[in-house]
Amino acid sequence: MCFIIPEYMNKNIAEKGSKKQKEQAWKNLVLTEQLRGRRLVTGLMSSMFSVSDKLDRTIYDAENTENLPGKLVRQEGGPAKGGKTVTEAYDYSGSTYKFYKEIFDRNSIDTRGMRLDSTVHYGEDYNNAFWNGTQMVYGDGDGEIFERFTKSIDVIGHELTHGVTQYEAALEYEGQAGALNESFSDVFGSLVKQYALKQKADRADWLIGVGLFTNKIKGIALRSMKEPGSAYNDPIIGKDPQPGHMKNYVKTTSDNGGVHINSGIPNRAFYLAAMELGGYAWEKAGRIWYITLTERLRERPDFQRAANLTFAVAGSLYDKNSHEQNAVKKAWDLVGIKVKTK
Amino acid sequence: MLIKVERSGGFAGIPISNVMDVNELPSKLMSIAKKIMMDKKSFSLPKSYPKGAADHYTYKISIEDGENRRVVECTQYDTTDDLKSLIKYIEKNSKCE
Repeated sequence: MCFIIPEYMNKNIAEKGSKKQKEQAWKNLVLTEQLRGRRLVTGLMSSMFSVSDKLDRTIYDAENTENLPGKLVRQEGGPAKGGKTVTEAYDYSGSTYKFYKEIFDRNSIDTRGMRLDSTVHYGEDYNNAFWNGTQMVYGDGDGEIFERFTKSIDVIGHELTHGVTQYEAALEYEGQAGALNESFSDVFGSLVKQYALKQKADRADWLIGVGLFTNKIKGIALRSMKEPGSAYNDPIIGKDPQPGHMKNYVKTTSDNGGVHINSGIPNRAFYLAAMELGGYAWEKAGRIWYITLTERLRERPDFQRAANLTFAVAGSLYDKNSHEQNAVKKAWDLVGIKVKTK
Repeated sequence: MLIKVERSGGFAGIPISNVMDVNELPSKLMSIAKKIMMDKKSFSLPKSYPKGAADHYTYKISIEDGENRRVVECTQYDTTDDLKSLIKYIEKNSKCE
């Protein structure tokens, strides 16, 4: 004989039952979460378990090895020591937390005050930064092509946003879903920078990774959301390959299907929407994109789906046929994607 | 016998490709390269990464010996120590394509 407890019943028990009943209901919900998506239980977790509402950061030093997390060098509230790189990782992850908290009332990556762990000085001459599913990792660069990867606030915002995506839409890191994953990280990385500088959309540079190239490289940044494909053109590293329109979509098997290449298309769509709407980009365009990421998108959307959902969210927030909804539609149209309402 | 290491991904998304003659490798790395070529079961890696991970490197290692060719693909998370050593050496000591 099988008993199937409906979801609403598990939720009620998880909130109002005895400790033992709550634990079992919680286990049931976590199991169904794997089938239905994380969002269902995230809010419930906050109400069930005490969560910290405070910023909590830890910085580690890998001492130029590839061992993680490395040696603990700074904790939340601890003295500012360890050099520029440690300070940047600490300060900019704080800026990213502050952005999400003040603008979207989001309590860290997981909405429950998850500690923000960063490792600096990873590897030797390491020309990269990455999110490994639990923490951020930053290399120092080789001094020939790249400087240290903690230098740009939007890099830290970008990496932390991969964590947000992991806990929300869980976008697959492949093809168009992966390019959207990358784009959301560039979008919110850029907004973290704009918020810190108190810049309106028309004053922002819309560049990702300014200052990461050494002065030996002919490039102003790693990517341009305003004009994908224009960020660099150098004899050693080549030309920025990003397209800004679907007609130039790059079909490739490398880079997980070009996730860092084709992200140029949704990046430009966000830039266009933000510019059309004016003011601070996080207020309207950022809100539409945030709600799309956290409440609507799921694992394997393509660009068309993202366009349709941002359009729908704009309609919900600002009314159908509003200036805001039309701005979103126009932005996607300009990058070659016609919003479909049905 | 030529070995080619192609790296893609990473935060910058800038691909790198390095080629080297297998006979120019130090003896230990030459053995690893030859093992990759001869033993089809060796280094059959899943090309996997942790859930939610992003901006990591992905590698494609191709070894050619006349008409024979073997390709191994992996991420930075599932490279074995042998492969890691081979990749690092080639990236440091060969010319970029």
